[in-house]
Amino acid sequence: MSAAAGSGTNHLPTIAVEGLTGCAGELLVILENLDKLLPFVRVVRFPFAQSKNEGGAVDITFVEGSVSQKHDLEKLKRIRANTRWLVAVGNCAVWGCVQKGALCKCKAAEMIEAVYGSAASSIAAEAMDAAPLDSHVAVDVKLSGCPINASQFLAVTASLLRDHLPYIVSKPVCLECKLRENPCVLIEDNLPCLGPVTAAGCGALCPSMGAACYGCFGPCEEPQIGAMTTILKEKGYEMEEVLGRLTAFGAVIPMGEKWQK
Amino acid sequence: MLSPTYFLPKERFPDFLNALKSLGQVFAPVKVSKQSYSFKAVEKASEIAFEALRTILPPKKFFYPQSETLVKFEDGEIKECIEEPVFKVIFGVHPCDLAGLGIMDTIFEDSPGDTHYLRKRRTSMIIGLSCMPDKHCFCQSMGTDCPEKGYDVFLTDIEDGYFIEGKSSQGQKLLADAFADKVLERAREAHKDRYKRFWLDRSEAFETGFKVDNLRSTMDLEWENPVWEELGDRCLSCGNCTPVCPTCYCFDLVDVAALSSKQDGSGDAERRREWDSCQFVGFAKVAGDYNFRPGPVDRLKFWYRHKLHGFDDAYGFKTCVGCGRCTVSCPSGIDDIVKVVNILQVARQEKDEGQPK
Ligand code: SF4
Ligand code: SF4
Ligand code: SF4
Ligand code: SF4
Repeated sequence: MSAAAGSGTNHLPTIAVEGLTGCAGELLVILENLDKLLPFVRVVRFPFAQSKNEGGAVDITFVEGSVSQKHDLEKLKRIRANTRWLVAVGNCAVWGCVQKGALCKCKAAEMIEAVYGSAASSIAAEAMDAAPLDSHVAVDVKLSGCPINASQFLAVTASLLRDHLPYIVSKPVCLECKLRENPCVLIEDNLPCLGPVTAAGCGALCPSMGAACYGCFGPCEEPQIGAMTTILKEKGYEMEEVLGRLTAFGAVIPMGEKWQK
Repeated sequence: MLSPTYFLPKERFPDFLNALKSLGQVFAPVKVSKQSYSFKAVEKASEIAFEALRTILPPKKFFYPQSETLVKFEDGEIKECIEEPVFKVIFGVHPCDLAGLGIMDTIFEDSPGDTHYLRKRRTSMIIGLSCMPDKHCFCQSMGTDCPEKGYDVFLTDIEDGYFIEGKSSQGQKLLADAFADKVLERAREAHKDRYKRFWLDRSEAFETGFKVDNLRSTMDLEWENPVWEELGDRCLSCGNCTPVCPTCYCFDLVDVAALSSKQDGSGDAERRREWDSCQFVGFAKVAGDYNFRPGPVDRLKFWYRHKLHGFDDAYGFKTCVGCGRCTVSCPSGIDDIVKVVNILQVARQEKDEGQPK
């Protein structure tokens, strides 16, 4: 994909940035870092940030948000058909985030009823059970975060611009926490820190400020949910609270299933 | 000839610290939370936590940093990153950590030698300090309770002052200069008596430990002991036990691509080495997704073995120095090496006793 010599920007690799159901947090991170990308790419579509957007195929599309509505799914299929690399950015796109986490506690219909009251039926017709992108289409790269870490985003983009699929490790937050030499809040303060089962990437932001990790980057590789639950229970946390914490940020199915065992 | 020994009255410690500061940046244990300490840069004696037993991370971090760029790819060339190290003085290192540094030195010096570690290590001075064990210290069992190597100068706390010995030539020079500047006195008989008393009292002060002579055979014979499954079920695979260990040296190499500064697309990137942990599921995964140690119990057993006898054959020493850091840093409470070894030894003894004579 490396750029041929020439003037203007037409020879540059093309990117698109799209959002489904999410809070636009990743779109903001990308917007904030767009100046670093601009010398290397042409932004063909980024409806959140620019008014002139073109159609057609692009090299890389970054997609934020979960698939929670029928038009999300239609849009996602169009995106997939028009991009070489599809990069899921943020917890919503990778795991389903709180939209999906909520489904662990109640049924979508009950939620819609509680929130929209008499308008519920028209909403329900459009709504789907929130799901990450890879439940519906093939995803090439998954970059989680809530929001994503800007340096990881730039490194992922740099790899793709060189035709390399980036290698994103998902070791636990505890690693970043210990590398920063933080006192452990799970041990010293008995806080319900989910660092042991959460994917690193944030630099152990919360424990560095003396707070428990609440799992916003989604699970690490093979999270030890059984052991985590045992330890939180021993610290006096109620099962319901433990489950609520473990499932709040998506990844509901694997985590919930293990817990129910 | 025995090198001279000195006495430093405690009220003159600030002058001694100034002497250290004249050599380079001084680092010492500092209190960072209600029960944790960390080696940090210090300016004044009042910042130093003399009572600290174990810091969160051991002093290996000064020579083998958590993350370090080894090479850069720039303009189509590979450039090795060799920074000019600044001279560091690490003050307040206890015998277990000195042994740990000695082990790290042996490993990183082994052919072909790790330039990145050795350059930093050779631009440093280590000032050891005596300590009184707490309930998690078991250096005595591991034979690392007295300073042997890995240091330049050692201070033994003898109440109103420190009894000081120089080990290396740079350590002896520091002491000779401080003596000439009247910061130190020559140690007298009374100081030597108190020094001997201190070390005798200290060897009586250990609350916990085990016998190491049958450690290896016990570990081998009790490899299927049910205690391992119990521990494995509780293991979070969080990896807290390894960065805190003074002798864990495993790392991951990651290539981080940067957006090119060149319009022709020729790229910039760097190769970093970052501490890794054998407790992570990906650590022993190889091509084809085969994993040599797929479950937490496999990884935990591997770690215990590595610490307690894995180096016996290759190097003739054990890589656990008994500092107790893993025990206090494990959120699950399963890195209690002393407890586990005791369980295994009891199980083994019961089997031995059950054998016909
Ligand atoms: S504070 Fe949380 S993230 Fe940090 S080491 Fe403890 S459990 Fe892990
Ligand atoms: S520490 Fe946990 S909750 Fe906090 S930012 Fe990182 S992943 Fe999110
Ligand atoms: S294994 Fe544990 S006790 Fe032994 S040296 Fe490492 S951290 Fe210290
Ligand atoms: S032994 Fe303890 S510190 Fe080590 S990975 Fe398991 S739970 Fe974490």
